[in-house]
Amino acid sequence: MSLIVAAFGFGLVSMSIIAISAVGFTMQFGITNMINLAYGQVMIASAYAAYAVNNAGVSIWLSLPVAAVFGAVFSFLLNRLVYAPFQRKGTNLIGMVIISLAVSLVIANVMLPIAGYYSVSYHQNPGPTYHLGSIALTGEQLAIIGVAVVVMLAIHALLRFTRLGKAMRATAANATLARNCGIPTARVIDLAWLITGALCGIAGAVAGMNSDSFSVASGSEFLIPIIAASILGGAGSPYGAMIGAVIIGEMTEISAAIISPEYKQVVAFAVLVLVMVLRPQGLLAKRGALAAAG
Amino acid sequence: MLASHHRVGRGVGVLFAMLTIALAACGGTSTPGTTANTSPLLIGVIAPFTGADAALGPAYFAACLPAARAINNAGGVMGHMVSCQEFDTRGEPADAVPAAQQMIASHSNLMAVVGCTSDEAASVAPILDQAHIPMFCMTGQSEFNKTTFTYFHRLVPPDEFDAFAMVGSALDHFNYKKVALVFGNDIGSQAFVGPAMTALKNLGATVTINQAIALGQSSYRTEVTAMLATHPDVIFTEALGPTDATYLAEVKQLNNGVMLPFMGTSATIDPVWFGAVTGAVGVQTVVDKFTAVDLGVSFSGPGYDEFKTNLDAVASQFPDAPKYSQRGATLHLYDGIIQAALAMDETKSTDPTVYNPVIHDVGNGVAGATTVNTYAAGVAAIKSGQKVRWVGAGGLTNYNQYNNSQQGYILVRYDASGNEITIGTLTQAQTAAIITAGGG
Repeated sequence: MSLIVAAFGFGLVSMSIIAISAVGFTMQFGITNMINLAYGQVMIASAYAAYAVNNAGVSIWLSLPVAAVFGAVFSFLLNRLVYAPFQRKGTNLIGMVIISLAVSLVIANVMLPIAGYYSVSYHQNPGPTYHLGSIALTGEQLAIIGVAVVVMLAIHALLRFTRLGKAMRATAANATLARNCGIPTARVIDLAWLITGALCGIAGAVAGMNSDSFSVASGSEFLIPIIAASILGGAGSPYGAMIGAVIIGEMTEISAAIISPEYKQVVAFAVLVLVMVLRPQGLLAKRGALAAAG
Repeated sequence: MLASHHRVGRGVGVLFAMLTIALAACGGTSTPGTTANTSPLLIGVIAPFTGADAALGPAYFAACLPAARAINNAGGVMGHMVSCQEFDTRGEPADAVPAAQQMIASHSNLMAVVGCTSDEAASVAPILDQAHIPMFCMTGQSEFNKTTFTYFHRLVPPDEFDAFAMVGSALDHFNYKKVALVFGNDIGSQAFVGPAMTALKNLGATVTINQAIALGQSSYRTEVTAMLATHPDVIFTEALGPTDATYLAEVKQLNNGVMLPFMGTSATIDPVWFGAVTGAVGVQTVVDKFTAVDLGVSFSGPGYDEFKTNLDAVASQFPDAPKYSQRGATLHLYDGIIQAALAMDETKSTDPTVYNPVIHDVGNGVAGATTVNTYAAGVAAIKSGQKVRWVGAGGLTNYNQYNNSQQGYILVRYDASGNEITIGTLTQAQTAAIITAGGG
């Protein structure tokens, strides 16, 4: 029993990282209608950007904004230089998915000669370990959870209480109508790529901190739970992605404790399949902030 | 919107299926080996260069480059210059098949192929054998112990022997009695688990826990907590990529900063693995707590010196190459390539159906054969009408009837610079005794 409680505690960290990344991923889809399979690779590229700064002697926490800026700029350029031209030519959604898959492979293979195939670790201090019953978390892990909470609140505030957030929701609901109503949808989409790219960068850095070691190849592994959480919560719904992250994060850890670590992803995906069968639109598709402007 | 998502989902599935079929259908068959005049020859390095096992490919590429340099500096194989090319399998059989087919279809001048790890050997070896291309594989799978593939060669023992050597070393050298098995859930790593469990049981030790961990996860804290609760004396492990680094860092963290002793397979004697794990747990922890079994290589002698000279010289092509000077696999694959080249020289043929059977003879030597340690010396001996036996970087070769060769093991640890230090030896006979006692 104590192992399950401990696993629940570790699940809090996992779900925090998944939540940051999945919210960014699902917002990209919701606002720009783009299933960006290069997201995991941008995460890792951002993690390496933070590593470069951290390796130069800067605290990993001060390197975190660097990862955010790198992720934002990288994602923005990716859209402007690659995705947007294809979308303007009328490439359909499936075509865009394949393009993003190709972009992911290109990023990974360009990174290999730059970053190397070596795994790297941040210079970091996990801090003291705090215990609550069987749950044991380091100061660094608690800080990661804190970052996730702050990011989620910020996204909530952005979508609910700002003009930009309302414009994003309007663009997500019907871009043509939004444009006809005077909303500068092109600028909104640019800002959406910057914001979700920043989330992607932050997620990459905290995932690197949590895993103690990462490599270029880690991008594809990180992407799997992100997609699972996004779909589980309802594609395009940030709040759904948050709930999806909680479920996927906890299910993977608790199943490792109860069944076998070999099946931790299998169990998470079994839950995903079950939800898809019972509620194909995902958990919150109709109530998500981006699904309807209400 | 939702309905369109469903259509998209089905569309993506169909598209992926079509892509898979198209990729599988790519390539074809060709008849390599008939090269004209002094046209260049190619050595294919087919291995994971990306994916979870991306660290393996560079070790094999580092074998090919010095071998090609040694051959080319001696004038090539009957005048044919030799080069190396990477073919990425991503460590996945599904990717390895099209990679192998493309390699064969695109290159009719393949003289040999090296690599083929456990990740892809089962799918790649039949293709190479059918195409009559001599291969030197690093797979540890037992199914190749008595293979019918006549073009298959393996200069390293099967993984199960590694497992027995680990068990023997742990019990005899360190007197460990309680062992936690932490291996990646990939094909290559899991090949150790069954034999290790059998041997530990038969030799009176206890397996406290057997964890097959999913590679590349961002955390293994739940798994580590479960493992620590079993209080093992030592952790046996092979989980490549960043996986071991993540797992072991969390062991240290969740065990109040104290690292448990951990023992690796020969695959963990690798600069990439060393870099990853020391980055996560610290160099001194690895120096103090880590041991491994490695292939029985002395890292000395004229054959090794020739290899080392060429390895250092190819740093201009592959800067990391010198780091592989003590990677057993690198040494052995270098030897395999030189053996293939000498077999071509002996038979005066670039036709694999002609020179492939002679690789065995060059490795083991025939009656009256002259021992050579450099390719140039081998060519000179052959030109003077002698048969040759290659004793190279990895020492003597002892091919059996299935072209499997092995030489026993050494027990090693790392120094702070990542160099291997031998702390014990297991001869082939001692290894065989452990295998027998362990139920192998």
